[in-house]
Parts: sequence; C-alpha cells; structure tokens
Amino acid sequence: MRPQDRDLTRRTFLRAGTLALAALAAGTHTPLEAAAPLAREGDPDPLTGIIEPARKVVRAHFGDRPIRAGHVTMDTPETAPDGRQVPIFIDTDLPQTSTEYVKALHLIVDHNPDIYLAGYWLTPATGGASIDTRIKMRRSSYVRVIAETNRGELWGTAKFVYVTLNGCV
Amino acid sequence: MTPTIGDPRIVLPQQIKRDAVIFVRAMLAHPMYTGMSRDHDGTLIPEYFVKKVTVTYGGAEIAHFEWTSGVSADPYIEFPVRATREAPLAIAWTDSKGHVYRQSANVAFSA
Repeated sequence: MRPQDRDLTRRTFLRAGTLALAALAAGTHTPLEAAAPLAREGDPDPLTGIIEPARKVVRAHFGDRPIRAGHVTMDTPETAPDGRQVPIFIDTDLPQTSTEYVKALHLIVDHNPDIYLAGYWLTPATGGASIDTRIKMRRSSYVRVIAETNRGELWGTAKFVYVTLNGCV
Repeated sequence: MTPTIGDPRIVLPQQIKRDAVIFVRAMLAHPMYTGMSRDHDGTLIPEYFVKKVTVTYGGAEIAHFEWTSGVSADPYIEFPVRATREAPLAIAWTDSKGHVYRQSANVAFSA
C-alpha cells in the first residue's frame, strides 16, 4: 500500500499532532481546524547558535531583513545515523493563495561545504508550502529553514541535528 | 563502477479530487557527487550533481528547486500541488553537465 492511499499519512499525523498539542497547551477545546498556528511560544530563534560563515550566507540572501520565529516547522531526527541520507520534512501554516503565498523555502546547514543547501521556489498553484526530502550532512550541525513570503516576510526555524556517520560523499 | 543515472519517476496519488492539494513524489537516479569524495584508487571524483528542478502543470511552471550537491544521492522530493484541472504534471531535472531528465504524469480526477 502506498503511503498516500492511507487516510492517515505521516504528514497529516504530524500536523494533527502538533495542532492537538497546541490546543492542549492553550487549555482549550477548540476544534483542530480552528486551533492555534503551528508555531508557538518557545520556538527556536531561526538564527540560534549560528556560526559566522552561515551568518554571511544568510546576510547575502536576506540582507538585514528580520527573520522571525514561527509558522515553519521542521521534522528531522535529532540523531541521524547516516549523514548521507538525513530526512528533512519542512511544513508551514502560512496561506498559499493568489495574493498571499510562500515564495520560497530556503534550507541552510551551517557546517556543510554548501551552506545554502537548497532553495524551493513555489507559487500559489502549489496550494501549500511543504517539502519532504533527504540531505547530506558533513557533521553534526544546525539545520535552518527560512520561509520567504511574496510580501517579503521571513519566517524560520532551526534544529541541531547530531550525525553519527558523516556523510558528504 | 559507473553509477546509474536517469530513471526519472513521478508518483501521484491514485485518487485525486478536483481542487484538492495532492502530494507529488519524484525521484531520479543520480550520484550527486560533491567533488570531495575519492574512488577506490584515491582519485578525487569531480563534482556532478542536479542543479535545477523545474515543475510544470499544464505547461505552466508552478515551482522550481535550486539544489547543490548537498542533496542526497538519488534525490527524492515530495511537494504539494493543487489539482485544479486534468493536465500533465511534468518535471525536468538539469544536472551540472547540462543533461536534462524529464518525466511527466497525468493528473486525472477519480470518478
């Protein structure tokens, strides 16, 4: 059976779980659809623990524009056994309509040779902004995602991923 | 050993409803060499990777991805598309030697 044929996919499970936790945290019984956005207080600063080379890359791409925490989640293992294949699942709760949409998702890995690992450029026609992929990591490092909207707002998150077997091959 | 290159694949959900957001999965066989690894004789393998991926739906570009060699070998990606009409969804992968690998799948609504 293919994952997409199931009613409950990993994607919907993650989304529902996050929303349920948010609702619990808020102490309310609001239906899931009306629950709080994915981002909550205590979200990591998108630039937490950043090293200078990575800061330069961020500055080259975004200048001095503020990068705020929220609206973006990244699901990846805290410890990746194989640095050649690190699963990364990026999701946002930002609207994807003809007037308001996520223009790009930027993936940054501080300690990789290519710090700016990938850019995913989207349009309203995608109907959402999420990416599931596999990346290489040279060593344990912060992984950062920055979502750029068509209005130029920047939202991000960061997570430190431990790598057991280094994988830039 | 010569790596397998090519074999582009697109997987769409079996059931697609009009205007639903579907998740498209796409794969390509490609070594994605970084230029930093060596073969068994100790010779550096030159960098060779997929740089750009373009997604079109009914002939219009709806997304493109810019990659480096930091994307894993045999790159896999899953992304959303709003199924607004019955039309082909096509993906073109372009690598650093300028080779282009193409695949397309038809978005068709289930009865």
